[in-house]
Amino acid sequence: MMISAEALGTVVVVATAIATLAPFLLIALFIRDWKRGSLW
Amino acid sequence: MTIAEDVAILPEGIAWGLLIAFGILWVILGWYLGRKNRTAEDHMLAGRNVGMALATATAMATWVTANTTMTAPQLALQLGVWGMFGYSLGALGLILFAPMARRIRELMPQGFTSGDFIRLRFGKFTWRVFLVVSLIYAFGWLVSLAMAGGVLINALAGIDYRVGMTVILTVCVLYTLLGGLRAVIGTDFVQTVIIVLGVAFIAWLTIDKVGFEAIHFNLMEERPELLNLLFPAAIMFLFNNLFFGVGEIFHSNVWWSRAFAFGRSVGFRAYLLAGLLWLPIPIVAGFVALATPALGINVPVADMVGPLVAAEILGLTGAIVVFIVVFAALASSLDSLLAATSDLVTRDIYRGHIRKRASDHEQFRATKVVVVLLGLVTWAAASYRGELPVIGSLAEVLYFTGAFVASAIWPVVAGLYWRRANPTGAGLSMVAGTTLGLVSYFTIGFYVAALVGAAVSLAVLVLFTWLAPRDFDWRLLAEAEPHSAAPVTGGAR
Repeated sequence: MMISAEALGTVVVVATAIATLAPFLLIALFIRDWKRGSLW
Repeated sequence: MTIAEDVAILPEGIAWGLLIAFGILWVILGWYLGRKNRTAEDHMLAGRNVGMALATATAMATWVTANTTMTAPQLALQLGVWGMFGYSLGALGLILFAPMARRIRELMPQGFTSGDFIRLRFGKFTWRVFLVVSLIYAFGWLVSLAMAGGVLINALAGIDYRVGMTVILTVCVLYTLLGGLRAVIGTDFVQTVIIVLGVAFIAWLTIDKVGFEAIHFNLMEERPELLNLLFPAAIMFLFNNLFFGVGEIFHSNVWWSRAFAFGRSVGFRAYLLAGLLWLPIPIVAGFVALATPALGINVPVADMVGPLVAAEILGLTGAIVVFIVVFAALASSLDSLLAATSDLVTRDIYRGHIRKRASDHEQFRATKVVVVLLGLVTWAAASYRGELPVIGSLAEVLYFTGAFVASAIWPVVAGLYWRRANPTGAGLSMVAGTTLGLVSYFTIGFYVAALVGAAVSLAVLVLFTWLAPRDFDWRLLAEAEPHSAAPVTGGAR
């Protein structure tokens, strides 16, 4: 049972999109914690 | 040195510039973050109130090692789509540890190490078995990370193996020594951003320049088994990797020290988010390996497939991105292991066995001495290789420790949630699971060691508890200072 090009493409694009957004989410959380004084 | 001659993708001068620039950055950042540490607790647990952003990033960065960025493509090349999907199941370890982190913080508000927990919960015999398992894993992992650093820098830029390994190890020891867990967590944040952006950048360019149709077509022509969803060895690997990842996280002081260090309401959310954000990384890093037939790349050593694809698609820029990502990935794991292992040695060996009345100041000083000693011993072990290590064996070295770590899964879970778990059974389950896991590693293959270790350990623990259940009072874990307590005699009441 082979994975199709479409299925492979969908999985990889979704994974890459999440990975791309992750650093921005972390930076947003960092700024929020910084403003609240709760970094440490 | 044939690996460097065959596949070096970055000029040595640029590689040295990057090593020096990032090395100085990590050391200065580490010193700055740790400059206010005054007690052992500051140094080891960063003040016990780490916030959500830093907590999530450090969990992600520590779990993204050089193996994630280099071995995920190798496994995709060898085991196909299940290789990268299987590797991404390592995220379940982080996700499943989330509720455990909350329970650990509730049960042991003043705890320091995973060893503290095992000693108080199961007594001295199981504690010592656990320390052996945990320290073998930690030391083996430290040495293999240092070796991977030397090998990868040699392979990427042609820098001598021992020189590259020494530079990476020295930088990590220096900033861990100067700043303790604060330095580790602070640098982890920057390293996470670099690693994830770098890996995603290479993946987007691979998608753009090669495309899924071309990748799929060429794989069907040349390596159709890599697209097979019923590839038996790959499915076995998938489950093995699940137990391996869970075992590593559940038992290792790297993760326990963070559970103690994160703010009271932060641990659960941080581990959960870190797991969800880590899940796609092996797919993103591994996918590029599937493009090798379409790109017509000859891969002389499997571990180098990721850098080779990046260099083919991006040229010098790709090589620089890969080098920075690999350096950040190595540093983010090495520093965590150095800090967590020095805590374990200081608390459970030095204070637990050698100097039981050691003051806070003596522990603070001992932690620093242990970091330096660990660095020296790791350097010595990683240095004395007759020949350059075979880079293709990284995955096998990684999964060798699977038997050790998977055998500790059930004792830790039972210790936290099963009030009647038998303390002696917990110790013996680790001994039996590790032994049979290693036997299966050598007789069947690297991809079953963790699976067998976990299964045997579970059977032994359940059998002992069924035959001789022991009640435990959870309040015994919450003592203010774990080592000031009277000796525990098995956790039974």
